[in-house]
Amino acid sequence: MDPNNSLRGSINPQQSQQNPYLPLGHQDPAHQPLPHQPAQGSSLKRQITDQLVAPSDILEYNRPNKRVKDTSQGMDKRHPSSFQQLEKLGEGTYATVFKGRNRQTGELVALKEIHLDSEEGTPSTAIREISLMKELKHDNIVSLHDVIHTENKLMLVFEYMDKDLKKYMDSRGSGGQLDYITIKSFMHQLLKGIAFCHENRVLHRDLKPQNLLINNRGQLKLADFGLARAFGIPVNTFSNEVVTLWYRAPDVLLGSRTYNTSIDIWSAGCIMAEMYTGRPLFPGTTNEDQLQKIFRIMGTPSECSWPGISQFPEYKSNFHVYNTQDLRIFLPQIDQVGLDLISRMLQLRPEMRIDAQRALQHSWFRDLGTVRTQQAQAQQAQQQQQFGGMGMGPPQGGGFGYGVT
Amino acid sequence: MAYYQQPCDSYFVESHDDRETRFRQEMSERESYAKRQTQLAIAEELSQLASYEYRDQILEHMEMMESITLPDVAAIDIQTEIQWFMRPYLLDFLSEAHSAFGLLPETLFLTINVLDRYCSRRVVYKKHYQLVGCCALLIASKYGDRKDRVPTIKELKAMCCGLYEDEMFTQMEWHVLVTVDWLIGHPTIDSFLQLALENIPYDPEVEHMACYIAETAMFHKEFVSKRPSDIARTSLAVARYILGRPQASNDEWASKYDHQTLLSLSQQLHQPSGVLSRKYSSAHLSKVSIILEGFMARQASISRCYATPPTPPAETCAEDCKEQLLQNKLPVTPTKPRYLPSMNNGCLTPPITPTNQDYYSGPNAGMGNFHRPPTPTNLTSHPSNQQYGPCSLPPISQTAPMF
Repeated sequence: MDPNNSLRGSINPQQSQQNPYLPLGHQDPAHQPLPHQPAQGSSLKRQITDQLVAPSDILEYNRPNKRVKDTSQGMDKRHPSSFQQLEKLGEGTYATVFKGRNRQTGELVALKEIHLDSEEGTPSTAIREISLMKELKHDNIVSLHDVIHTENKLMLVFEYMDKDLKKYMDSRGSGGQLDYITIKSFMHQLLKGIAFCHENRVLHRDLKPQNLLINNRGQLKLADFGLARAFGIPVNTFSNEVVTLWYRAPDVLLGSRTYNTSIDIWSAGCIMAEMYTGRPLFPGTTNEDQLQKIFRIMGTPSECSWPGISQFPEYKSNFHVYNTQDLRIFLPQIDQVGLDLISRMLQLRPEMRIDAQRALQHSWFRDLGTVRTQQAQAQQAQQQQQFGGMGMGPPQGGGFGYGVT
Repeated sequence: MAYYQQPCDSYFVESHDDRETRFRQEMSERESYAKRQTQLAIAEELSQLASYEYRDQILEHMEMMESITLPDVAAIDIQTEIQWFMRPYLLDFLSEAHSAFGLLPETLFLTINVLDRYCSRRVVYKKHYQLVGCCALLIASKYGDRKDRVPTIKELKAMCCGLYEDEMFTQMEWHVLVTVDWLIGHPTIDSFLQLALENIPYDPEVEHMACYIAETAMFHKEFVSKRPSDIARTSLAVARYILGRPQASNDEWASKYDHQTLLSLSQQLHQPSGVLSRKYSSAHLSKVSIILEGFMARQASISRCYATPPTPPAETCAEDCKEQLLQNKLPVTPTKPRYLPSMNNGCLTPPITPTNQDYYSGPNAGMGNFHRPPTPTNLTSHPSNQQYGPCSLPPISQTAPMF
């Protein structure tokens, strides 16, 4: 079914200047805000509307200094049929992502369609995701242009990004390995995005290559805030059913519910390693296997190296004891300074992990300026090369980073 | 092992077997308790680390967010159908629902904020006021609470006695979301309170009292457009005053509260909502509503004793309490209020020996005042609707006959 047609059909063209994404019967939310009841005659509605025009006008007019967005602006942009739907980018139980084009401006967008449960209304993941993304406006966080509501769907309009980091790595040949320059630039952008989230009291909680989007200008942006949530000070307790297994921090794997910002740093460390090798660093299959894979490289912690570890709910006294390995064995390409940074991020104990702000100050990023110019040069060459390979293969599971799972 | 030296303190030990199982049980209980404590200690350390790194930026962000998510009293004033006197009844309903679902404390504050923000931007019919409230509760709990705690529409519908259809909930929920522009991340009074209490030895009584006072404030129109950070700091200052705890030192964020808010807040404590005072009379909330009631009763009798006509003119009384409150506020170490020699002690644990039997005749005597019928015929009789003059501390018995 072509949603454009069905959507266009449901909207009276004369009303499109007002609030077309509201359920039918809402002439103008400012004046007629309440759920439409078919039982009410139109005369009654008119009477009520007449009555209410004046106060609502005052409501809208008297507060120009408010930062709350005026809903009467940018209406055309919010019209669902003002987007041409292009190919599907990914699909999951929670949402489907399409590539789209703004018919007026020609601008490419990503359209994330969330199926609305008629029983329970708007999903909590959508409420959190939209609300948090409205707060987080940053160069390294994918921007949410709009939220459009139709009969049974919620459509989030995101800025278009060319691919996610996973596909980017796959498309680079060389077994998914990235070059030193790209890794440094991506890590810097990733940490900047994470630092911005944390400064605005948001934990992402699902960082993985599939959720990092890359465009042709070499920009990296954090996407899919479906698992994100705001935290307070002191940090509250959360669910430990977060983060895709491979990128999940050991303290969370051990059952901690009181993790903090360090949970995102562990994921960032795993991603850094993956960019060097092209393969996930800890590809576990179950919670236990994941812990074992981590311990095999990082060494099995004990009460000595991690006071209090035996008190974690998932701690087993019979964990196989591994010695700590040198990370360089697994990341032969890494330089000494980069190795220092990654080992500060991949600390088993959350309190020992470096925070995003300090990681950005790390000396590994000192030559970023020169790296950037090199990258710009490399990119020009690369773009010509990539032009043919732009078409994306079938999405795998996660579905192109905007988060559909 | 230390555990073995512990005597078995149970009175009804019947047989050796029983004793052994009991002992084992206790052992494992102690062990899991110890585990929880270690977990808590680790959590606290982690939280402090995050706080150390990000506190300033987070506070700055929270203050920015609170300024763009404040309801507008003036806009609610021009509502044609819904009136201010209806609001406390709706808030009673919402806080009862909130307790029934076992939601996080911050969810109630967020609910009220979303409700008021909607009412600042949309005209609401009287018959839909409760629906808006329910949807605000639904949104707030979806935002902050665990998934399995979020109320279902079926439950909400039942709570409204089937007044609204399922579809109305989903439609209104959506409309509320659009109206508040999907900005749900309003920093609640509760979150500021937690921030103010950070790095201070845990004192549940102060925390619960401040929370109680803040929730009481939410019932009053004059606090609707006040910044949550102000209400949080002021509630904390009043709570500490009532409980005779030292105030925050001058360099702390928590010490920067607004005197005007303090005054108006202290004037709203005499007749809190019955639902609230019942909620806060439970032991796990330190019975703070009973403590506050005892405090208010003593205040009332003291102001009676010291005023020359038995019922003091409103102005004098206001002067008195203003002085009392300001006096306590200004110095770093609080001085004892002039007229209230017994103020700073005796508040810690009820019951308090009453100074006047007329107004206070037992530890729980005051509770009777709060059991009001759920739907009074006279709608303006909600305790929070009672308007007092500048006199902040009229004895309850004086005002009671009015209603």
